[in-house]
Amino acid sequence: MRCLRQLSFASLCVTAWALHESDVGVVDWNTKLIGVPLHGSPHTAPAFYGDYILTATNNNVLAALNTTDGSIVWRSIYDTEDPIMAFSHSDNSVSSLSGPGGSILRTYDLKTGHLTLEKQLHKPVDGRLHEPQNLGISLLRSTDPSLNSTVYFALTNGDSVTRLDETGETLWSWNSPDQASLVLYSHIIADPSTVYLVGLAKSFASYTLHVTTLSANTGEVIASVNIPANIKDETSKFVAVSSQIGPTTTVCVNWLEDDVLKAAILTPDLKGQVMALPGVKYVRISEFGLSNNGQFLAIKEGGAAHVMHFDVQASSLRPIWEFGDAAPSQAQSDSHFVGSLSRDGQPQVARVYWSNAHNKVIHQTLAIDLSEGKASASGFAFPFETREYGVIRHVAFDGSSTGNTHENTRTLLTTTTGSIQLWQHDKMQWVREEALASIQVAEFVELPEKKAVMSHAVVDEEGYFERLQRQLSDAKNLPQYLANFARRFATGSYATVTTSAASSSDEDTLTRDAFGFRQIIVAATAYGKIFGIDSSNGRVLWSRVLGLGWAAKVGGTIIPIKMFVTRTVSDPEGPQIVLVTQRRADNSLIDTVLFHVNALTGDDVRDEHQSIPGTALEGLDAVMGPLVDVFMLPNENRTIVMLDEYLQARLYPDTPSAQAEFESFVPSVHLALRADVSGRRQILGHQLALNLELSQFYVAYPTWTLSLPPKEEINNIIPNTRGPVASIGKVLGNRMTLYKYLNPHLTLVLTSSAPSSTCGIYVLDVVKGSVIYHASVPAASGVCDVQATLTENWLVYHYFDDDFSGTGQSKGYSVVSVEFYEGDGPDDKIRSSELSSYSNKTLHVSTYEQSFIMPHGITAISPTSTKFGVSTKDIIVANRKNSIQSIPRRLLNPRRPKHKPTSEEQEEMLVQYDAVLPDDARLVLSHNYEVANVRRIVTSPSLLESTSLVFVYGLDLFFTRIAPSGTFDVLSENFNKVQLVLTVAGLGIAIMVTKPMVQRKRLRERWYQ
Amino acid sequence: MKMVRTLSLLGFLLSWSSITFAVELHGYIQWNKLCPDYGALASAKVLLDSGRISGRVTRNGNFSILDVPPGTYVLSVLSHDYSFDHVRIDVPPSETLPEVRPYIFGTPLLTTTSFNLPYPIVLTPRHKNRYFSPRESFNLLGMFQSPMMMIMVLTSVMMLAMPYIVKQLDPETLDGLKGHATTASIEKSIQNGDPRGLSALLSAGEETKASTPVAKSNTGPSTLQQRKGGKGNKRR
Repeated sequence: MRCLRQLSFASLCVTAWALHESDVGVVDWNTKLIGVPLHGSPHTAPAFYGDYILTATNNNVLAALNTTDGSIVWRSIYDTEDPIMAFSHSDNSVSSLSGPGGSILRTYDLKTGHLTLEKQLHKPVDGRLHEPQNLGISLLRSTDPSLNSTVYFALTNGDSVTRLDETGETLWSWNSPDQASLVLYSHIIADPSTVYLVGLAKSFASYTLHVTTLSANTGEVIASVNIPANIKDETSKFVAVSSQIGPTTTVCVNWLEDDVLKAAILTPDLKGQVMALPGVKYVRISEFGLSNNGQFLAIKEGGAAHVMHFDVQASSLRPIWEFGDAAPSQAQSDSHFVGSLSRDGQPQVARVYWSNAHNKVIHQTLAIDLSEGKASASGFAFPFETREYGVIRHVAFDGSSTGNTHENTRTLLTTTTGSIQLWQHDKMQWVREEALASIQVAEFVELPEKKAVMSHAVVDEEGYFERLQRQLSDAKNLPQYLANFARRFATGSYATVTTSAASSSDEDTLTRDAFGFRQIIVAATAYGKIFGIDSSNGRVLWSRVLGLGWAAKVGGTIIPIKMFVTRTVSDPEGPQIVLVTQRRADNSLIDTVLFHVNALTGDDVRDEHQSIPGTALEGLDAVMGPLVDVFMLPNENRTIVMLDEYLQARLYPDTPSAQAEFESFVPSVHLALRADVSGRRQILGHQLALNLELSQFYVAYPTWTLSLPPKEEINNIIPNTRGPVASIGKVLGNRMTLYKYLNPHLTLVLTSSAPSSTCGIYVLDVVKGSVIYHASVPAASGVCDVQATLTENWLVYHYFDDDFSGTGQSKGYSVVSVEFYEGDGPDDKIRSSELSSYSNKTLHVSTYEQSFIMPHGITAISPTSTKFGVSTKDIIVANRKNSIQSIPRRLLNPRRPKHKPTSEEQEEMLVQYDAVLPDDARLVLSHNYEVANVRRIVTSPSLLESTSLVFVYGLDLFFTRIAPSGTFDVLSENFNKVQLVLTVAGLGIAIMVTKPMVQRKRLRERWYQ
Repeated sequence: MKMVRTLSLLGFLLSWSSITFAVELHGYIQWNKLCPDYGALASAKVLLDSGRISGRVTRNGNFSILDVPPGTYVLSVLSHDYSFDHVRIDVPPSETLPEVRPYIFGTPLLTTTSFNLPYPIVLTPRHKNRYFSPRESFNLLGMFQSPMMMIMVLTSVMMLAMPYIVKQLDPETLDGLKGHATTASIEKSIQNGDPRGLSALLSAGEETKASTPVAKSNTGPSTLQQRKGGKGNKRR
């Protein structure tokens, strides 16, 4: 029965659109990303390990990259509620601690990324949150020589230590005795017999150090001592270094007290003295990757950096090298120090800084020979493109790659624009643009036609000979054209919908293909960089850094809000986009900044003189202060209207003609804005008016109020995605018509209400504030994860329904499909699309509604869009299985009958209602590709009415084409030119053969008649 | 202080969760021909309900879901390439083993199913997703295998071979055939099979020029013509 059902569905769905194996990589592409590395803490920062680079990233991914080409060897994606706190590697495995307080330990195979161990150390709800969040969480892996196996020492929550063996069995665990603890352990160092725990303890007005030693075998406390340190503020941390001689490890804790470096050597019984290094004033000490080798960094007053070395044999602590000119100045940036062990176990220190004098990055390597107590520094410069990649944020250094020369010195840089670069000596081996894993807004921009690009500029002014010359030069392409024509005719290689849209020739003109599948995707990221991506192959065509303007002095971030395509190919200026951003300066000032960019080249449109290419884009500070709402007028100029925090309408471009056009549009502008009145959320409808006494700008004034129930929060306001509407009604089987409710002012509002544990879905008319549709769905475990989309008169929303108590109810993901039609039923027409919004008839709506269930959850939903809106609209969803799936409109039709379809209903192509939406693999657009953590699906029409372009972004990028009604406007892919030619040729031959026969026969007939 | 600040909400939850009883769910993936090992499965996740509580599948196929409060859950597997059955899990409020029942997706959850599945939950990959449909490729043999093509080929062969067959036939049989043909429907079928239509089509151009009587004879009673043709052959 179920099989039959699935079979019938399969036949139903696949008739329209099918994916072939040969289309993979031709019609679609996929970019796998990992995100920008977390560089704040040494526990999560990128690190070299053999041929791999291991890193945890902002997108909560633990990944291993190949050092040779930068490809992803493997990656593991963590849930948002399970943030990666620390990772460490040993031998052939990588382990991570994640979740609140470091609750979960996972171990992966280094080469394959296979998960070998998953173990909960404590319940996630028991996790304590600290600032920064991975403080007090540390994972130590050491080899136990007696058992010849690795053991884990996990410090979690800042107060408990667990020792586990390789299989994840807990050998012992220890919890700090005072639970309300004022002691927060942050460092764990182990040798075969003793585990040292070092942390800060809060005492009156300052911090002191607290050390506890545990027996490594039993977990019993050996000693617990408060070291009377007087650490003033938490930012000046302490440093615990260890040094190993033979089997024993000696630990030395260092801290700054009144600018004097103090140290305490720890023994298992914790009996020792506090030493001080007088005479030198230090301002800061820090670890730099060599703390297991006895080295750390101390910054002197004035900026000079000392490499400190803890010598176990002499029990002494002394500086072994001074980087005298490490202070940031006009000539150079702040230095990054990073240490690493060379192949023969000697410490190496790399210092990397930007030199303004050379306009290059200087890489200085300090090779320390501990046995002879000598150190030597050497360096080189490499041409880092700061204009393209911003400033270096983090440096990882492969000490084993350096030798006497710097030929093979490998450095991994993480930059402010979110790129990861591997430099070998002064050559960049590869770069990964990981900012693309955090795209905020993206839009499709059409490309111009080839002819337009190649057209002659001054055809009007040429003389006879010039014209002759031009035509002759054009004619030189004729033989090629003829040859092409002949070949095309003979082999039948036409541009079809299943061919790649990328230009086959190497010439780099940006032109569209025959069907407009090749477009530019302009994407703005959270890392202050904007990218132009070729939609035919996913290559980055151009990228520009967004300039900070005056905030460059204090630092800040640029958060893209919205992107508008203000000019298209049909305009003489060529395609242009305007990016609206909010600039959050580090001094907490927020401004609205606009970037006006040529979509084909990334050039600044506002910049008349075309300043040096490659520099950061300079934005226009359009509004001093945050933005409330922004929209584009549908006029010739495509003026952008921004509402500032005083609800004043500001225009861009602010020209008199734009102003005049805006004034003509003012009466038809209706806005729905959020408001908060006495703790209750409200949606206020606004209109614009000019009152010169108050302001020189048009100011929005409220027209209606929709008060939500108390404690109900507004999660999202989604405007109606309106493409062209091909038909205003639906003809039924009985020749009556259902007229679509096409109110242009519909807006979707998603809310969540904590007390009743429900989520609200409202469809509002923004002119009057009337609620056209309202539904309240349960919030599964208190979280509202409703995904919804509204297009034309069709609303689709998705939620998890955990209310199974009623009869026949089941737990699972539900998709509800709602359609709005005019009047009471068929043939009732109110002309909703032309109706005045103030008419009473606008509420005269009938609703068709049907609910379906889906096996898996989704993270994003979007309808397809086509050029004229004739093709049916399918719904495209990104599900939690990391794939992109389409749901055919026929399955989601809310008018599917619950009985066997009658002939009238069959005429409408309705199929019998079935609650289960099929999980058919052939509806999966992303097939074998893994497209993870999708945040948004963008669809765009192509020149073919049948085909819609789909771009998906989240952690990964994915692009494909989809034809919801089949490719009805091109030759079917089953069309077989060879067969046709053969048949025609065969018929021709048959005629040639039979013609003389027939003639003979005729002649004979005449003779013998 | 910032450093030791803990979330009061979590503390509240902690006190609440310590009262209620929670169990650990264990299970494993049964490797089969479809999915022989972890390498084929790739990273997969086992979810309860909407995924707030979940566990990952490790290399040996085991998974465990910790801290499951009492209740009824639907267990599902998130795997990119494989489909698994959904399973209903009942975690009793007392310290007994959780009950595992089959659950067919789309049916009511609380049905009184007669049998229970074994407790360490065993999940079997049901099928591997096949994303692609085969392309209909051109194939000369396939082209000739279609019935329409076969009829066409047969007709043309008959058309060419018919005069010779007729010639080979016994005069008596032929007479018998002809006698038959005048009345029986076989004649008609030969007529239809005979490429008369084709010859008429071919000669259409000439016919327009030709005089009407000729055209008439062409459209006249077909039996007559056939006989004449036969006679012609005979005479030769």
